[in-house]
Amino acid sequence: AMPQYKLYYFAFRGLAEVSRQLFALAEVEYENVGLTPEQWKEFKPKTPFGRIPVLEVDGQLVAQSLAIARYIAKQHGLAGKTPFESAWVDALADQWSDFHRVFKKYWYLRLGVRPGDIEGSKVSVGIPARDSFFPLIVKQLKESTSGFLVGDGVTWVDVLIANAVEDINSKEPEFLSEYPEVVEHQKRVHAIPALKKWIDTRPPSTN
Amino acid sequence: HSPLYNLLYSAWLSLVPSFSAMPSYKLTYFPVRARAEVARQLFYLAGVPFEDVRVPHADWPALKPKTPFGQMPLLEVDGKPLPQSYAINRYLAKEFGFAGKSPFEAAWVDAIADQFKDYNIELRPLFLVLMGFAQGDKDQLLKDVGIPARDKFFGILEKLAKDNGNNGHFVGSSLTWADLLIADHVKTVSIHLPSFLDGFPTVLDTVKKIESTPKLKEWIEKRPDTKF
Repeated sequence: AMPQYKLYYFAFRGLAEVSRQLFALAEVEYENVGLTPEQWKEFKPKTPFGRIPVLEVDGQLVAQSLAIARYIAKQHGLAGKTPFESAWVDALADQWSDFHRVFKKYWYLRLGVRPGDIEGSKVSVGIPARDSFFPLIVKQLKESTSGFLVGDGVTWVDVLIANAVEDINSKEPEFLSEYPEVVEHQKRVHAIPALKKWIDTRPPSTN
Repeated sequence: HSPLYNLLYSAWLSLVPSFSAMPSYKLTYFPVRARAEVARQLFYLAGVPFEDVRVPHADWPALKPKTPFGQMPLLEVDGKPLPQSYAINRYLAKEFGFAGKSPFEAAWVDAIADQFKDYNIELRPLFLVLMGFAQGDKDQLLKDVGIPARDKFFGILEKLAKDNGNNGHFVGSSLTWADLLIADHVKTVSIHLPSFLDGFPTVLDTVKKIESTPKLKEWIEKRPDTKF
């Protein structure tokens, strides 16, 4: 029997969007719980690490956005065709995670979530982070020849990176102009019918 | 066994047709434990030979452009490179049976590892000073950075270990790479901040049990001794 899935997060895209997209891609039913701040306060002590997103599988909770994404992907054939491919998917995802950890210090200023010198941070943080990470993605796309990052089909790291690229392009359209292959990849991933359907119909949110 | 022994053994294995199913493994990193230690431990626990390449810092710049992401550790499986320490750890753990006994358990192992990564990053300013890589006020960093990060993460671990019945593992009932990750960190902490984790007795007990795993105990005794 199909497990009962419940994904808990706030009612915006954020760190849960990748998992929502994976469920959509796999065409798997799940309960998409968007918590209000008040509901979050009540739910927080029940979570494994005091953070969301959290995935509930037949009543059991697991935390950490990438662990959740990988789990959903593995259960539904979206994690590479061999163990070595899965490992490369993981490596690219962790490389993105390292990039994002640094990049978000600039990006939160751009989003207006935190105050600060946006243009200064762009030069000292945003651009160096971008130029350390995206050449690796371009290289990987060229080596792969399938149009996807690893192997001959879409995996969860394609979804992860395409989501980040869409977010960047929506707020700062020229930021990735030197990485056309990356933008093409994002369009390719988001054109996959099951994923396009979710993107076209998902609740709107600013981030 | 010395790296040369491992290399010769791998070469011999590759010449024997019936053993050619076993890949040759090479792990390249700096001459410290840090981000390569769990992988080394997994090989040793599994009884699988590997080339344990330790690159002196001065030799790294020349090697860097030859790696996929310009970083180490780097695993090579039959010459095919794989970067990123957690991808390496997870890959080896899965191959050798240290990734949890079910997909959900494996997800929990991943979650603990990622939570540990978050904690480690929070702790970094303190540890850079402790290990002599940066200047700073150790006591101020302990108060502002170290103690809050510790209490948050080790509070989680203490509860996990207790809820797991103090069975010697942070999740499930078998050794996983999350156990190895935490145990190695606790070892490093004990070198630099001896009483730092005294408030987490179940964690310390769990780590003792992990370290008493026979092959792991053997590795710990014979490995090069490093401060981190």
